[in-house]
Amino acid sequence: MSDLMIFAVLFGVLALLNLVRLIKGPTAADRMVAGDAADICICCAMVLFSLYSGRGIYLDIAIIGALLGIIDTMLVAKYMDKGRWLKYAAKDRH
Amino acid sequence: MQKTKLPAVISTFVVCYIFWLLLTWSFAVQELAAGAVVSLAVALFSARFFIHEKAFWLFNPAKLLMALAFWLGTFVVEMVKANVDVARRCFGGCKDVNPGIVKVPVDLKSDYGQAALANAITLTPGTITMDIAEEEGQTYYYIHWIDVTKPSGQEAGDAIKGRLEKGLRRVWE
Amino acid sequence: MLLRIVIDLLIAFGLIFAVAGTKGILKMPDTFCRMQASTCVSTLGVLGVCLGGLLYAIFVMGSASAAVKVALIGALIFFTNPVGSHAIAKGAYQAGIRPEKKMEIDDYGRDFDE
Repeated sequence: MSDLMIFAVLFGVLALLNLVRLIKGPTAADRMVAGDAADICICCAMVLFSLYSGRGIYLDIAIIGALLGIIDTMLVAKYMDKGRWLKYAAKDRH
Repeated sequence: MQKTKLPAVISTFVVCYIFWLLLTWSFAVQELAAGAVVSLAVALFSARFFIHEKAFWLFNPAKLLMALAFWLGTFVVEMVKANVDVARRCFGGCKDVNPGIVKVPVDLKSDYGQAALANAITLTPGTITMDIAEEEGQTYYYIHWIDVTKPSGQEAGDAIKGRLEKGLRRVWE
Repeated sequence: MLLRIVIDLLIAFGLIFAVAGTKGILKMPDTFCRMQASTCVSTLGVLGVCLGGLLYAIFVMGSASAAVKVALIGALIFFTNPVGSHAIAKGAYQAGIRPEKKMEIDDYGRDFDE
């Protein structure tokens, strides 16, 4: 039974290691990539912990975590693009 | 901005309703009705961003089976090979890299095919699609490659996406 | 018993690739190579964990809704990740981030820089 818990803790440690790059990273893109990887590791840990404890609520939280991860990646990407996507969209409309 | 069309709304509604059923996983009448209302609202709002042409493509069983065979067969083999390659580079000290951005011609015509090929290339570790450009009727991808071994153009294209493109052409053309 | 061993092997397989990706994120020389390494975490790492979790949910717990949710989490991460990866690579290049060591072949910079 406890082997799932061991794997979940290992994934949590991986997420903490990703936080090192998130703090140190020289540019915004580095920080976002590390944050995304940490988010995915936390999702995996949450799936394993949910199966270990037998409660379904952690799976719902993992789904929300996965969806929010992609949304904030898109937000930071658009911020780094200096709003060029907005310009493309305005050009298409005419 | 496109107008909202009826076929696009119907197929978006079906996809949303299947998602609702999978997420709630209960078949009481109230849940089914609430799901229908929410899916219809979402479909009316987002169908014009979601589907532009050939709305019922995904409901053709033969094409669906071919797409499944691609994503579970050809693509998984390529992905595992690329994963092992990148993992070897990572464990080997991260010094064995030779990055570069190559420009590669693509022959797929339809929008869905091009999007699926770009996503498949990005999902294999070692290559990321950065942009799509169109010059004189020919589509080009700009691809960041972690280990450039071939010069830009057709040769690099064959090395990166030869088998993926062959599999996808069977589905979309 | 054999089933438990298969589940553990699948999850350990995913964990190996997640460790590889994390090491790449920490140690790779420039921004774009770090993105390539992070793809490793989100493809085979997630695939291993979700396959193992799926087998556990079906055969050990016997709960259909947990199995569906685990498969859905895997599919969501798997199919939304390339979109974010592509967007952030393009955004980083257009924001002026370049590797310290100059790239040998750089068609994107040749075609779009002033």
